[in-house]
Amino acid sequence: MSGPNEDNNTQLSSHIFGDLLDSIIVDVASECHRIAKLGLDRNLEEEEEEMRLSAQARARVADPSNSSETNTKYVVDIFGQTHPSVATEIFECMNCGRSIAAGRFAPHLEKCMGKVIPISSYHISICLYLSIMIDSYYDREFCAIP
Amino acid sequence: MCLRSSSYTSPKPCKHLADYKLRHAFNGYDSLQNCLKTTPIGRTRVDNHNTKIPRCNFCNGYQGRLYICLMCSSISCSTHILLHTQSKSGHDVAIDIERSELYCCLCCDQVYDPDFDKVVVSEQIKGLCPGRSNKRRRLDSGMELDLKKSKRLIAMRDGRAKSCYPLGLRGLNNLGNTCFMNSVLQALLHAPPLRNYFLSDHHNRDECKRRYGEKLCLLCEIGALVSAMFSGDRSPYSPAQFLYSWWQHSSNLASYEEQDAHEFFISVLDGIHEKESKVRNSSKDDGDCQCIAHRAFSGSLRSDVTCTICGFTSTTYDPCVDISLNLDTVNLSAAEKTGLSTLSGCLNLFTRAERLGSDSKLHCQNCQELRDTSKQLSISRLPLVLCLHIKRFEHSLIRKTSRKIDQYLQFPFALDMTPYLSSSIVRSRFGNRIFAFECENSDSSAEYEIFAVIAHSGMLESGHYVTYLHVNNQWYKCDDAWICEVDEGIVRASQCYMLFYVQKLLYYKANKDLSCNASVESR
Repeated sequence: MSGPNEDNNTQLSSHIFGDLLDSIIVDVASECHRIAKLGLDRNLEEEEEEMRLSAQARARVADPSNSSETNTKYVVDIFGQTHPSVATEIFECMNCGRSIAAGRFAPHLEKCMGKVIPISSYHISICLYLSIMIDSYYDREFCAIP
Repeated sequence: MCLRSSSYTSPKPCKHLADYKLRHAFNGYDSLQNCLKTTPIGRTRVDNHNTKIPRCNFCNGYQGRLYICLMCSSISCSTHILLHTQSKSGHDVAIDIERSELYCCLCCDQVYDPDFDKVVVSEQIKGLCPGRSNKRRRLDSGMELDLKKSKRLIAMRDGRAKSCYPLGLRGLNNLGNTCFMNSVLQALLHAPPLRNYFLSDHHNRDECKRRYGEKLCLLCEIGALVSAMFSGDRSPYSPAQFLYSWWQHSSNLASYEEQDAHEFFISVLDGIHEKESKVRNSSKDDGDCQCIAHRAFSGSLRSDVTCTICGFTSTTYDPCVDISLNLDTVNLSAAEKTGLSTLSGCLNLFTRAERLGSDSKLHCQNCQELRDTSKQLSISRLPLVLCLHIKRFEHSLIRKTSRKIDQYLQFPFALDMTPYLSSSIVRSRFGNRIFAFECENSDSSAEYEIFAVIAHSGMLESGHYVTYLHVNNQWYKCDDAWICEVDEGIVRASQCYMLFYVQKLLYYKANKDLSCNASVESR
């Protein structure tokens, strides 16, 4: 049952809500007005153009009927040259002087400069075997029967 | 090509505002200053110090927008403000009480005046932390690359330049998983300040060897590279000597496996800087350093940490040679069906005010207590060459896994960095009021033009880097030994990892220097 008070309260609260809403709307409008008048959003058109060009580009690349340059294998470069998948130019290693093919230079240099020594289990067992041999040799030496 | 003037310009006042200012100058503003009050949320309103609710003189209403006349301080509502102007001649300008915005009654529109904004802002600043002054470290008056020197571009041409393609275009052989190196080198060698520096022989290799005798000098190596690239020989070059020198410099990164291009980029800049600081025997911090790496790439980031209770802000500046951006995948609005990530979205994310968690409270000098804080980054000084690094490789320490984010990122060819400058960010905190910013560099431009894109394709461990270069209005794809012409659409659609922009002024100058003269070739 809604008495006169209830009606007043409902009216009052919707009135207050309306005021608050108006205030918020004017706040946003005032801020946007300032931004527009001061030219702070001047680049909007350029930005939209960039977005459009990007979307266009993506659509073209995604289209399977287009011969995409990224998908086709290279035949010749702009200078009319072709290149093998592994570079074959030969030059001297500046660390050890050996002749190395360009495409294999990095792995060679790594080992050559002693940066990383690949220790495999095979190597370990060989080293162990050798050290045992050396030890036993010395033992024999000192235990030599006079 | 007309260059845009600074995008932050004061608008022309309307006739009525101009008249008012002529007749009354700042009298109205000054008398109002005492009546301005800033609320905790940062909004400034006009408060007449009366305890009465402001009401319209005509209708006694208190709802809607109320305006206070600058001349007689009488209050009118939006319906009756025109009546007030008509009844009293010369009373044309009023102020919106709630928002402290100027309103021209005759134009029936909000108007803007820098002098008024200045009054409002000084009031806002006073209200932020009463009794304490915000001390800010003054920025050095920026280092400017001597543009005259870099203009001295010595073009080395010989008969081997069989084509009329721009000089400097030359493939780089992959020496075994070294595409990360090749891609960065292509971008670096075509950065106008670096290219000009080395081509004009600013670092003379013979003299360097003579004076310092050291075998390792990254500057010499880069110089040798530049000479080779611009020699006119178009067969792919093997940067073996460079690799050797670099591995000696960054022994921790020396290994055969595929590296991160960005890490390599930082390492090269570091190598250049190291040599320079050894030469000058100085330990200047990066902001003042005059080595070519810093002159080209160094900028300054400003970090504002604000106490959420009292508003006291502590500001620090840090130099940077690039900006690493997180992808804005989180912020994609529901409305965007395509779910598009954009560079401006990433930059917005970077400069967004972030509330630091309650577990990282900081000590506020004003409150003298541990408080919740909010942190905001902005760019206080832009570099000549802007390198933007997109963080696509996520390394989770907890799960000990890494993954690559393949999300496409839209990026523009022309970039305006104005919204991310400290001046813009700080101004937006004050509601975009017009006021002079103490460290504003009005002479340096915020407009950039793209010249190189490093794109990554494939997976984390077995991916491939290529570089797209923009030279003389044509895009070229540099894929190790292969140099090809590509349409700009290919570049736009690529998965960018590092973006290289140069200040527009330098860009157009640089392209003029490089433009190929076909008639000279046919000798």
